[in-house]
Amino acid sequence: MEKKVLLKNEQIERLLSPHPLSFMKLQALSIFVIVWGIVVWWLTKFSAYTNIFAGNIWYPLILWGLVLLLVGVVASLVAIQWSIFFLYLGVFAGGIGLIFWQHWENDISLFLLVYSIAVSIGGFLIVELYRRSHKYIITNLRIIFKGGVLTKRERTVRYDKIADIDAKQGILGQIFGFGTIIPVSQSGFGLGSDKSFAAGGVEVGTKRARFFGFAGGGKELQTPIARSYYELHGVYPYKDVKQLVEDVVQSHVPTQYHKEQIEFQKQQVDIQKQMRDLLHKQVRGKPRRKTVKQTREEEDPEDKEEIEEEEETSMNAAPDKEEAFPPEQVDIQQQMKELLKKQKTVRIAEPKIEEIDEEDESQGDEKEIA
Amino acid sequence: MATIPLDIDSFIGAALAPILGVVAFWFLQLCFIELQKRMLSKLRHRHEAFCRFTNFIGILFQTICHALGYAVTRSGIAAFQITVNYGKVEPKKEKTGVFEWISRSFLLFGPFFIPAGLVLLFSYVVIGNGFVFSPSAQYTFVGSLTGFGGSLFTFTNAFVRFLATIDLFNPLHVGFLFVILFFGLGIRPSYIVEGRKEKIDMIYDLKHIKSHLVQKPLYIFAIIGIIYVFYLLSLFVNPQLYLAVFSVLGLISLTAVIALLLTYLVIILIRATDEIHAHWKVVPFITLIGSYVLARVFFIYYPMKQVETVSLLVMIGSTVIITILLIKYKRTNRFKTATKMKHVRVADGKKSTSKKRTD
Repeated sequence: MEKKVLLKNEQIERLLSPHPLSFMKLQALSIFVIVWGIVVWWLTKFSAYTNIFAGNIWYPLILWGLVLLLVGVVASLVAIQWSIFFLYLGVFAGGIGLIFWQHWENDISLFLLVYSIAVSIGGFLIVELYRRSHKYIITNLRIIFKGGVLTKRERTVRYDKIADIDAKQGILGQIFGFGTIIPVSQSGFGLGSDKSFAAGGVEVGTKRARFFGFAGGGKELQTPIARSYYELHGVYPYKDVKQLVEDVVQSHVPTQYHKEQIEFQKQQVDIQKQMRDLLHKQVRGKPRRKTVKQTREEEDPEDKEEIEEEEETSMNAAPDKEEAFPPEQVDIQQQMKELLKKQKTVRIAEPKIEEIDEEDESQGDEKEIA
Repeated sequence: MATIPLDIDSFIGAALAPILGVVAFWFLQLCFIELQKRMLSKLRHRHEAFCRFTNFIGILFQTICHALGYAVTRSGIAAFQITVNYGKVEPKKEKTGVFEWISRSFLLFGPFFIPAGLVLLFSYVVIGNGFVFSPSAQYTFVGSLTGFGGSLFTFTNAFVRFLATIDLFNPLHVGFLFVILFFGLGIRPSYIVEGRKEKIDMIYDLKHIKSHLVQKPLYIFAIIGIIYVFYLLSLFVNPQLYLAVFSVLGLISLTAVIALLLTYLVIILIRATDEIHAHWKVVPFITLIGSYVLARVFFIYYPMKQVETVSLLVMIGSTVIITILLIKYKRTNRFKTATKMKHVRVADGKKSTSKKRTD
């Protein structure tokens, strides 16, 4: 199926998906709900504090809801993701709704236990579904990221456009051998900012005088950050994948020798262009309309014919004009000589054997370090 | 307060007894750690992640102890890093002399006592009445030793009673069980240098400790002197104080031993499930939890005495029986060869490694 998305001459190097434990942060939300449900049930039924909860049937629900929302707020602030709070708010509201709808007020603690377990199982399944929707294809030309349960998202990064590679491995990742790799593109895709804000207010005073205090602070930090479907999230085995990505990115980076070769070719092309212009000038007394053959081919076929005719006539006419040797022609010949001299002097800087050895050694060292 | 007799036994023997007791229990702890290391090394090829996890806990505690050493000596902490493979703590100021020696002592002795000490603190919450320090009847070597042993016996008795009646429906008890297992897997000194070393055993740890102690004999004499002064002071102020301090150290070692013993059960269960076919592997673990829950639910409708203990026995018994039955009938596939590997190895003259026959 993945072959459909491949380009010409493209081969799959590795097909990956996130490790089952890589979404532990999301699964932890479900774990908390289940643990808290059990604790509330134990507190109301078996603990030494049973008498407190026996006083009012709503006490277990109040305790359960308050702690759930409090943890939701704290987790949202820590993770800088308010969706956690709204998720817990939804769970709380759902619980209240079910109690009133089905009239389960008589045994709220048991309902909370069953409800917590059901919600947690649902949460686990959704996270697992979300994890399974991710697919990463590492080919010899690019990395394809796919993800999303309802809305399908896809990102493609070509290796020559990767400016930076960010890799991270948490404690769980170190233990189980998975980690996250974020390829940061030259356009800055893969970079994000962490922004947190905390504020608190206090109102002091009576009817006459009221003081309101407000304190807050914000922080914005540019970090490599991406959604799980835009990064190689929790890939296993982390070290091998990282090595593979680094290798293919490195193979797409031009070396110093390649750069010099490109520069040399550019200079040669420039000289040849100038020489062609001069030749044309020498023959026709005016510069050619199009110097590059490639662009000429793109023109209309009628124009092509015209140009070919012009060239034929110029070839025939050239010997007659050379015989005259007007001052302009002498200048052109002089310039031609200079260009030929320049062409001879510009030589490709061939890599020395020592340099090649050094490059090889440095690559070897990098591998050893890795 | 009893009068103190003026003899050598009272002034030297009685001071020495708890120290010897602590050393003996610490050595016992070291032996149990060694046994756990060997059990884990046999698991490594199949449960790399589990071993890495235990290694991480060990490194975590060792690094914390090292940092604590720098904090105590006021060297400051410039860098603190923990990974699964190694931990790193760098001081802000490189202190020498006694400060360096103290921080290194924390690194070497801390992993034995600090994590277990934390478990001991937690155990006070669940078994508060077990912390009774028996006073020594006489100010003699035997009297002090009896007092030290008495304190440890009372605590062990309370601890074992708690474990026998642990209520796994009580979140506090379950939490304590997790903590004790978590710490039990990490109560061991780890090799913290980045380079890889094949064998880290008890001898390796003891060699390090010996070289550390021999390096500065003067400090050892100073410590002995301080301990003795403390003994003399406590002898006239409150004789139980000296014994209580060393009893706490003994209790820490004892807690570590109990924690290590509990982790053996986990390791044995994991090793036993390795013998079972892949699809049936989870059954013993399900039985472990399921049988306890079923037993507790059963006893809600048919109440009886010692429900927790009976439920625990049901849990352990059913898990053991199910595991044995699965090992017998659902054993995992064995590596089959045309010729017996043993003969091949004997023919090659290499008993330790298996080799494929080329002929």
